[in-house]
Amino acid sequence: MQTRKNWWQARADDVAVGLLTAMFLVFILQITSRYVFNAPLEWTLEACLTLWLWTVFWGSAFCLRNEDHIRFDMLYVLMGKRVRRVLAGLSALAVLAAMAVALPGTWDFVSFLQIKKSPSLRIPLFYVFSIYIVFMVATIVAYGWRLWSIIRSEDALEAGESPA
Amino acid sequence: MSEAFILCIATLFLLAAVGTPIAFSIISGAVVYLLMAGQDVGIAGEQIIYGLYDSFVLLAVPLFIVAANIMNAGTISERLLDFCVAVVGRFKGGLGHVNVVSSLIFSGMSGSAIADAAGIGKVVINMMVKSGHYTRGYAAALTAASATIGPIIPPSIPMVLYALVSDSSIGFLFLGGVVPGLLMAATLMVMNAYICQRRGFAADTAPPLSQLPRATMRAFPALLLPVILLYGIYGGITTPTEAAAVAAAYALLISAVLYRAIKWGDLRAVMFESVRSSASVGLVIGGALILNYIVASEGIPAQLAEFLKSMDVSPLGFMIACNLLLLALGCVLDASTIILVIVPLFLATCRALGIDLVYFGVIVVVNCMIGLITPPYGVLLFVINGTTGIKLSEMIKEIWPFLLALLVALALMVAFPQIILWLPQQFGYVPAGLMW
Repeated sequence: MQTRKNWWQARADDVAVGLLTAMFLVFILQITSRYVFNAPLEWTLEACLTLWLWTVFWGSAFCLRNEDHIRFDMLYVLMGKRVRRVLAGLSALAVLAAMAVALPGTWDFVSFLQIKKSPSLRIPLFYVFSIYIVFMVATIVAYGWRLWSIIRSEDALEAGESPA
Repeated sequence: MSEAFILCIATLFLLAAVGTPIAFSIISGAVVYLLMAGQDVGIAGEQIIYGLYDSFVLLAVPLFIVAANIMNAGTISERLLDFCVAVVGRFKGGLGHVNVVSSLIFSGMSGSAIADAAGIGKVVINMMVKSGHYTRGYAAALTAASATIGPIIPPSIPMVLYALVSDSSIGFLFLGGVVPGLLMAATLMVMNAYICQRRGFAADTAPPLSQLPRATMRAFPALLLPVILLYGIYGGITTPTEAAAVAAAYALLISAVLYRAIKWGDLRAVMFESVRSSASVGLVIGGALILNYIVASEGIPAQLAEFLKSMDVSPLGFMIACNLLLLALGCVLDASTIILVIVPLFLATCRALGIDLVYFGVIVVVNCMIGLITPPYGVLLFVINGTTGIKLSEMIKEIWPFLLALLVALALMVAFPQIILWLPQQFGYVPAGLMW
């Protein structure tokens, strides 16, 4: 189970690395074609923006643990183990609830964009923006799992969460 | 200020205070607001998506992160250090000066203080401790203090974020940071020289002057990078965003091809590290965009501006108050959070009081960088603790004189706006409104 999870994690990381690398390469292509060959490409800017959007939300959905995010944990790390467990549980519940409540409305907004296409690559914006839906669903699952582990076991927080 | 807005802020603060990631705290607050105000909750996602998708300027952030990580993975840092030792290593407190000068040069290539402290900073701490002339705490404290120069001298990730929220020119903001960065380096070097004299630190053994040409040659390709960046941006060849890509490509080229110090395997690790930083910063940016939308639709910045105007606050008084507030916030909050979430509240007031936004932006970034080394929440101290194992208490004991030196530099910038605005004006910038 653990190894299979690690395998999927490694593939998710590969995708993220691929997205950022692609963005970097497209940028270089854009600069080269404009300044070296004097033949500006129209699609590169949009491709970069799309890849950036995907890097952020794919990365946030699958490559960042709760502890990797930018957090204010000054008070949190001062608390005892039991208080910490309650706070972490409440915070996971809040994230879960907010994402779940926002999901239908966000889905409406994104799915409406099936009819609208991106300006130069002519991809329906639905596909471009669908990564945000993926991110929301992944966040709901991840924080649901986190909440469940916190409720089930007292030691759920200890792994990877020792303060510096 | 509506009830919905108060609930939004309460949710945000409550969640953030108990350790919820900042981005998720903001998104949750936004959802509460939209529900209470009877608006469509889909607006949150819409603002976040379009905000990230529409902003070309923001692309500089991941690219500068990639560039800095490549430089730290290769031997660029070591070569620069050898060069700095050959130049300023011969003076009393020499390695302390090397520390500051190497940060100064590195800051011309990277836009992140954290990359500076974790990369070249870590190497220079080892050198200082190994020499036996400095305490571990002193070496670490000086490194943390000099790393703050990183985002003041262009390029600069925090300035890109400020440009995003304030709609000011990145090119002029970058130029505005040059003299202040040099000033900060100068005050730190004076403080280092003074302390070394007073505490009687032994002089470092300097390499013979004959080594200078060789050290220069070895570091030369790396030393060219700041020149390429500045020429690219101000020679009208690249936009600041494209310059970030050029910096990353050039760093990759010299590390992989010329210095042969980086392998394909390392490259994946570099890119993955960059993904993690880019994604966590990107998500906070997204959160800030929706929060700024709410704050603006509630008319908060305009109300604040009106209130401060009715109090008859002078521009200088406002600046001093802002500085105190930002420094206090810097003790407990992360720099990108302050710039993206707090600073937009004051921009309308700046415009109303006739305070130039490039001037204000540089001051804001300097404040935030000083915030990175102020205990108890000083990210740079944590980073150095993480990379070198030097205890926080050892660093904090030694940080105060350097903090003072940086505050002196900041006070000078606030009092004399020309320190910031002189260079942009040479390139045709016209400052807004009256200054003192």
